Amino acid sequence: MATDEDNKKQVLKEYGPAEEFMKDEQNQKLISEIEKENTQLKEEIQKLEAELQATTRNSQINEDIPETKIKFTAVENPESDSQFSNTSYSCHMSSKVPYELQKGQALITFEKEEVAQNVIRVGHHHVQIQDVNMKVMASPVPLNSGVRFQVHVEVSKMKIHVTDIPDELPESQMRDKLELSFCKSRNGGGEVDCVEYDKQSRSAVVTFVESGVADKILKIKDYPLYINQNCQRVTVSPYTETYLKKFQVFSGVSKKTVLLTGLEDLQIIDEETVEDFINIHFQREKNGGGEVEVVKCSLGQPYIAYFEE
Amino acid sequence: MLKEDTGSRGQPAWFQILVPPIVWPWALQALQEEQAKLKTRLQELKRKLRDNPQDKVPFPVPEAPLVFRGDIQQGKETTKSVVSNLRICYPLPGGSALVTFDDPNVAKQVLQQAEHTIDVEGFRLRVQVQPLELPMLTTIQVSSQMNEQRVLVSGFPAGLKLSEEELLDKLEIFFGKSKNGGGDVETRELLQGSVMLGFAKDTVAQHLCQTGQFTVPLGKQQFPLRVSPYVSGKIQKAEVRSLTVPHSVLVLNIPDVLDGPELQDVLEIHFQKPTRGGGEVEAVTVMPLGQQGLAVFTAKLG
Repeated sequence: MATDEDNKKQVLKEYGPAEEFMKDEQNQKLISEIEKENTQLKEEIQKLEAELQATTRNSQINEDIPETKIKFTAVENPESDSQFSNTSYSCHMSSKVPYELQKGQALITFEKEEVAQNVIRVGHHHVQIQDVNMKVMASPVPLNSGVRFQVHVEVSKMKIHVTDIPDELPESQMRDKLELSFCKSRNGGGEVDCVEYDKQSRSAVVTFVESGVADKILKIKDYPLYINQNCQRVTVSPYTETYLKKFQVFSGVSKKTVLLTGLEDLQIIDEETVEDFINIHFQREKNGGGEVEVVKCSLGQPYIAYFEE
Repeated sequence: MLKEDTGSRGQPAWFQILVPPIVWPWALQALQEEQAKLKTRLQELKRKLRDNPQDKVPFPVPEAPLVFRGDIQQGKETTKSVVSNLRICYPLPGGSALVTFDDPNVAKQVLQQAEHTIDVEGFRLRVQVQPLELPMLTTIQVSSQMNEQRVLVSGFPAGLKLSEEELLDKLEIFFGKSKNGGGDVETRELLQGSVMLGFAKDTVAQHLCQTGQFTVPLGKQQFPLRVSPYVSGKIQKAEVRSLTVPHSVLVLNIPDVLDGPELQDVLEIHFQKPTRGGGEVEAVTVMPLGQQGLAVFTAKLG
């Protein structure tokens, strides 16, 4: 369809300028038509751009990791020697999947999956809440997807990162100056294996032959760099590599938690009271229930409930 | 569709103001060019939006059982995650020891002297004492996007008697063959209930996903497996900070005069002495000269 129209316009376009000039009126019409189409396109683009921005934000994990207390566990002897050249950090991360609990809804988590599934199978439940008999509907919780992955951080025992290198010498000459400065043992340096210098970013990675040298140098924040007769301070920092492993998107399925709906018309506004009544009802075996882990309901403001593994 | 004749007849801004009623041929052309650009942009956005994994992923992904444990919040939804399996490995060089105290204040006292002299029958051992600093991840930002070289293989039967390596080999063999629609496999990774395969050529992943279903021999039997697009993650930002372990100190440059068990006793006795700033020692781990090991740290529960 669109192609047909384009072809028409294409034909028009291919007319000589003189002939086209004659078709003024027709062109005027065409122009306003295209202008209108373009405005529509622009609006559509704007809408999509906004949507795209919203989804990119959603698909990100942005996490401040709380400080964790750590303890010494064991000494291990790895097969590969490469593990001795890094201090490594690793952890698993898994996103919690949010569910918006609306007014009149409740979430109930059972200890056993069978109980939760049975409550869903029964469907309608008559729950006594104070003096009211409420008809409540049990259903599975529709959940979105989440991600899980492993984060690995390796801080080198052999390499250091050098920044703020003055940009005053040709590349190869500067590389030599860096090597000479970092092998001076009186400044805490040691034998240098190699220097990777990037003139543009004024930074370098210096690799030492022995481990322990990097640690010693990193105790100070800047290091003297000797260029001819001058001494300048360059910044030294740990050489760190960070990478992800086993990244996986999963779709959340709630097997032990059940969604209860139909509490909108309750006169009570104290959520805790209602939660207690729900808890009492569903822990009874004769009501098709079982051991309850947690109940949360919303009688006013919606809540964001987070589901985890 | 449009043969664009770019830029040569671009219309100056004053044009419309000066001569609005006359229709110049290039006015029409400029509009058409604009329209073509807008259409391309629109297509691009639609594609991006389709490729962008939203909360609802447009294709089936492996399920994970989740449970609500009472974590609620009012107001805006934020991203939250659970951190587990924290593990830090610190290489212990030869001639070193790791001393862990019950009380972190004792560790602090011990560290006030960088050098300790240890009396052993008849001679003195001079050693260096240092705080133990470990890297800790404090902030991480990860984005996800469709990966055009990779696929996710899922649908493995329960109780498959293959090791990780065996399973990955079998899959690489099958999906590495062009007669099966595959190609050279560059990366492979076992995930929970699924496997990621990355191909050298761009088109392979796309073709495999279009087919979607494959019957793959795994051991003696053949199983129907599903191939779907793979969403990969990328670190946008990561902050790592150095944290001093409060209970432990690192003892370095221990001379090679005593063997392991003996040295361990000597160190324990020395660092227990309150007169030397020491206190109750929880553990002493010795790494004799000529050997090395990894000290492993994990999260303290509670």
